[in-house]
Amino acid sequence: MSTYLRQVYAIVWKDLLLEARTRERLVAMGAFAVLAGVLFHYSFDRSRVRPQDIAAGLVWMTLVFGGLLGIGRTFYLEAQDAAFQGVLMSPTPKDAVFLGKTLANFVLLFAVSLLVLGVFALFFQVSLGPNPGVVVAALALGSLGFVALGTLFSAVSTDTRMGETLLPILVFPLLVPMVVFGVSATTRLLAGRPVDEVAGNLRMLGAFALVAVAAGAGLFRFVVEE
Amino acid sequence: MTPSSTLSGPSTTSAEASEALRLSARDLVKDYGPLRAVNGVGLELEAGTFLTVFGPNGAGKTTLLGLLGGRLRPTRGKVLLGGTALDPSETAWRARIGVLSHQGMLYSHLTAEENLRFYGRLYALDDLEDRVGAGLERVGLAPRGQDFAGRLSHGMRQRLALARALLHDPDLVLLDEPYTGLDPYAAAVLRDVLASLDDGRRIVVMVTHNLKEGLELADRVAIQVRGRLAWEGRGAELRDGDFEHRYHRVVQEASA
Repeated sequence: MSTYLRQVYAIVWKDLLLEARTRERLVAMGAFAVLAGVLFHYSFDRSRVRPQDIAAGLVWMTLVFGGLLGIGRTFYLEAQDAAFQGVLMSPTPKDAVFLGKTLANFVLLFAVSLLVLGVFALFFQVSLGPNPGVVVAALALGSLGFVALGTLFSAVSTDTRMGETLLPILVFPLLVPMVVFGVSATTRLLAGRPVDEVAGNLRMLGAFALVAVAAGAGLFRFVVEE
Repeated sequence: MTPSSTLSGPSTTSAEASEALRLSARDLVKDYGPLRAVNGVGLELEAGTFLTVFGPNGAGKTTLLGLLGGRLRPTRGKVLLGGTALDPSETAWRARIGVLSHQGMLYSHLTAEENLRFYGRLYALDDLEDRVGAGLERVGLAPRGQDFAGRLSHGMRQRLALARALLHDPDLVLLDEPYTGLDPYAAAVLRDVLASLDDGRRIVVMVTHNLKEGLELADRVAIQVRGRLAWEGRGAELRDGDFEHRYHRVVQEASA
């Protein structure tokens, strides 16, 4: 394994180990997903609206709002005892630090996205259609782009006085393409439409994720260097 | 001993070691908006040098260390280590530097061993397990390797932070108020380990406002006031009990 990949792995290992021990972010995101599912369950008239028709939008909104609860605290533990200063002063390239933190966040958010799907399947009796794997793939691609932007802007907002308020203001406008293509693909997949029909949306989600990861890796050092 | 904003002088080590390692800072300036935290500092340090920089609060000591370690980009001037100009984005440069401050840069929810292992991976160290074991042994924490850093006392955390800072055997060691809050035993361990760094092949720069501890190991001394190195001297010549008086006079004159 190259030095670069070992350094990325070290960041991922450390972040996931810390999360496994503190469970701060996973519990917050998971609790939000379950509570949102329960509230949505009681928030519309099922005799007039079919859950299957609106489930995709609710799944993505739950993922975005819940995900931000956890992603926004990406650098919280890093700030304690100036631990992140030690990381930044190591010879690890800044983009490797970003990729490591993004991948760790992706693992967490992907786990939450599976939980969200489960919650909506339970409360809304939503069927994932004939291609559940493609539904999961769409959520995975969307999650990757989301965590890349969220990780970058979490670094921006962490040291600001209104960090937790600032983060959604910075990130939400940039998530519009992800929500548009994600909801579109998921709605059709839940409706049982063939995969060919959503291939374009999936490509756009993939392109969004690619651009977000590349931009984040390129810009991260400007955010964290003093 | 001369009032100066440029510190230089003969090395205490062999010529061979001096050729191998030299830290040069030329006309270093760092501005934070209208505030000039470091003002025209120059340094010429060779392998084997232990420099202590004293100064009152707000003198710019920590900023100077940040510039030497590449954590901060200078507004003007440059830093060279072994003839290579500092580039904070250059990873090979950072691999040669070890930093210890009053903040441990440790993860409370990782054990002592895990903290060192994590940093060792960031430094891409091959013989990592050996270094982790030796590092803990060196600071007297071998029996506490499985304890979470957050459950260690402040003194133990500082010793662990020292093991972290030295894990990769750095050429340049930067110490920012390392004795802050340490009990006598932890301070003694820290002093012993720092003394062991005097092997003639690395440069140590410590900033502190604690005169007694700052003088103990130093062979060069500088006093920084308002961003400038207002005075410099040799440590051995300063252990005559008069340094405190001199320090107050230099600070008073430079602050006027």
